[in-house]
Amino acid sequence: MEQPLDTLNAFRPRTGTPDQWNAAFIRVEDYLRAHRVHNRLQQITIIEKVIARAAARHAQNPTLDPTTLAAEEIDRMMDEWFGELLGDKNLPHERIAVEGRVALLLTEGVERWPYAFLDEKQVPPEFAEEMRRRSIQAGPDMTVTSMVPRPIELGALTEVAGQTFEQIEKWPILRVILLWALFISALGLVFYATR
Amino acid sequence: MPTAFTVEQVDKTRVSRRRATFFSLIFLLTALAAWFMADLLWQGPFTLARVADLPLLILFTILFAHVATGFCTALLGLYVINRGDTARISRTLRDDESLEKLPLGSTAIVMPVFNEDPSRIFEGLRAIYQSLEQTGRLDEFDFFILSDSNDPNRWIQEEVAWAELCKQLNGFGRIFYRKRRISLNKKSGNVADFLRRWGSSYRYMVVLDADSIMTGESIVKLVAMMERNPTVGILQTAPRVVNGVTLYSRLQQFASRLYGPLFLAGLNYWHQGESNFWGHNAVIRVAPFMEHAALPELPGREPFGGRILSHDFVEAALLRRAGWKVWLAHDLEGSFEEGPPTLIDAAKRDRRWCQGNLQHSWLLTAKNLHPVNRFHLFQGIMGYVSSPIWLLFMLVSTLRLFARVEDGTVDPARYIMIFDHVVPVPQALALFGLTMTLIFLPKVLSVGLVLKHGRAAAYGGRVRLVLSALLETIASTLLAPINMMFHSKFVTYILLGQGVNWVTQQRTASDDPDWREAIITHSGQTLFGLVWGASAYILAPAFFWWLSPVLLGLVLSAPLSILLSRAGLGRRARELGLFLTPDETEPAPVLTQLEQNLEECYKHMLPIRELRRDFGLMQAILDPYVNAVHVSLLRQRRPGSYSVRRYFVELRRRLLADGPDKLTTREKMALLLDPESMNWLHEQLWKLPADQLSPWWRLAMRQYNVLTATPVTALYR
Repeated sequence: MEQPLDTLNAFRPRTGTPDQWNAAFIRVEDYLRAHRVHNRLQQITIIEKVIARAAARHAQNPTLDPTTLAAEEIDRMMDEWFGELLGDKNLPHERIAVEGRVALLLTEGVERWPYAFLDEKQVPPEFAEEMRRRSIQAGPDMTVTSMVPRPIELGALTEVAGQTFEQIEKWPILRVILLWALFISALGLVFYATR
Repeated sequence: MPTAFTVEQVDKTRVSRRRATFFSLIFLLTALAAWFMADLLWQGPFTLARVADLPLLILFTILFAHVATGFCTALLGLYVINRGDTARISRTLRDDESLEKLPLGSTAIVMPVFNEDPSRIFEGLRAIYQSLEQTGRLDEFDFFILSDSNDPNRWIQEEVAWAELCKQLNGFGRIFYRKRRISLNKKSGNVADFLRRWGSSYRYMVVLDADSIMTGESIVKLVAMMERNPTVGILQTAPRVVNGVTLYSRLQQFASRLYGPLFLAGLNYWHQGESNFWGHNAVIRVAPFMEHAALPELPGREPFGGRILSHDFVEAALLRRAGWKVWLAHDLEGSFEEGPPTLIDAAKRDRRWCQGNLQHSWLLTAKNLHPVNRFHLFQGIMGYVSSPIWLLFMLVSTLRLFARVEDGTVDPARYIMIFDHVVPVPQALALFGLTMTLIFLPKVLSVGLVLKHGRAAAYGGRVRLVLSALLETIASTLLAPINMMFHSKFVTYILLGQGVNWVTQQRTASDDPDWREAIITHSGQTLFGLVWGASAYILAPAFFWWLSPVLLGLVLSAPLSILLSRAGLGRRARELGLFLTPDETEPAPVLTQLEQNLEECYKHMLPIRELRRDFGLMQAILDPYVNAVHVSLLRQRRPGSYSVRRYFVELRRRLLADGPDKLTTREKMALLLDPESMNWLHEQLWKLPADQLSPWWRLAMRQYNVLTATPVTALYR
């Protein structure tokens, strides 16, 4: 049924400046687009609902910023919606938000059911079913085992060389002297070879 | 079902005979050349002063033996290609066996990655996955991307690409992604970490590099060969180099494709069950690998000691020590890899390999290693040490010549010189000819084989094949002294415990090579070549001409490097039909698909310049889906101490108020690793009024999905 124009025009925030509400509107719009909600009609419907809820809170406490209030309201709406869909309303906000968004991504819910996003009354059953089924699995169940190097004997000569090497590393001055001795020997060799 | 062949049938006596033939040939050739050289050096009455020429003979003999090893491998390769080798592991499977019926075991396909192009990683994986699906045997395989990436952008791109790939292929539960918090022991540590977590769930693991491609058929056959040969611990394929764009990479892939079969057949002839592991495109039996192939620590510290950098040769040796065989499936089709696009990128890779191979010196005398494995380790070392030996040989020759010119025993103007000696031409030419034969004959034989088997069309036709081989020979002759200088520098620096500095980091194929990088990198080589050449010319012009091929490469190193780096020239060469390979003229579907997919990927719009540097971080905080995927992949941690929490609170505040430019990469990685911070940042970014956010974030929020319906930040494709 067609909605009368006067209903659409009825909403006006009673507190806050038009600039503040404009900024809040843009923020919610950006947030919806970030969720790939590109349907303008759907965007407007959701934004109006969010702004109305934010405006009601702002009227109670006008010191709060409308953008922050609007962002909080859309988060709250999404938490409630995800809670209903995923069948667990008692999860903390962080968990429900992450799980809900992952499920939405994996089901491609926004693209496949364009009007379902944040719709509380007419959620298609197959969409709800798919949302509940989807979860992300980065790795299979772990079966932790150890992998330890077996001892290796490098041979007598190499062992001695290794010990010497480690000893030299403990004495940086000795290392530098050895390097210089090597360099001077090379020079001496060149000198001898060219005479 | 009865099979044609198993490795158990390989007769030990026959293997010993093969190895005796191989090493006798090397010994005979080297002894002959050393005798010629000694005769050249010590003609005329012997005096004590002429003992000074002994180092020259020693250096020459070592170098000649190294060249002879390659030649003998190719020669035996030619022998078995013409006669047919019955001792090939690929004979385990009969030609008429269908893929659906081959015996398989649970297999993990693992791909360790480190800051590589995510599009290439995941499109490669897609091609492999779909190819395996077509074999009907996908159910026996799981895929693991094992990330050690420490670049925030790359990390987030990998996560995004992984989630999208799984979504598109319905691969959740089959394609897995693991990012390590702490990257211990580089690639070998990455694979070992996988094995500790999940290794016991699989009988085999196929190890791939980020640039590997294998057809489903080749993977199924590889695993089936392992099933039929229960004593084999590692089965290595011979990956073909493909997808070269620049002239340099096209030259390399042409050379490897044309000359490779001869050497590979030769390697299998004498390796047999003591073959080698090259680190990727191979299948490994997991249980013995976990039990025996964990890497020991070497004496001393890096770069020469400490943790083993080049793990593959050592792992093969350790498995063989425990009684497991290592085979090379050299004739198995469908295994590919990509090469570095430029000479400088190849040198950077060589720097790592050089360090790894030099470390193997510690293991040469390790107890209970098989002699053939010791020889593999020795060959790996010689691959790099031969360069300073060659350089030393040339320099000592020059110095001896200078000494002889100075004391008046030689008048260089009147004679043709071989190094510093006035010698009768025929004998010197015989030695020179022998050396050149050993170096170039395998190339001629390879071309001959292709012509004989009527495969020239796959290389662009007879004329183009021969012309390409000639051009490749000229290019490799010019590149040899440049690589000699690079390797000599690497060996020296590593022995002195120093690192090597590079001007910039890795780049991809481009039409606009970095002149600055090339000039700075090659300036030392050019200068060295000029000084050496000028000195030789002043003192002995005849000797100068003998040196000229080496000098030319050095003097022209910078322009040559730039010329070969040009993608445009590479494309032009392909249009002209030069350096074509059968993998281009008759490409496997898996390669065609990869090329098409990558073309599609690279069409996507790049983020605007201001946001590009921290695009990954931006996506992980701003985009609701990327943020959710990222957080759900992070391990949940217990809240840290008060000071740790304070540290994160401060970082978050700075990130939002000042923008990512003000944070270090380490700080960004710390935030990305902390799920609480990532949740908080996402929430706060969308909640804070614009005036409380940095201009960078304001720009990001307005820009990030304005231009397209599906923003470039999104999980595209």
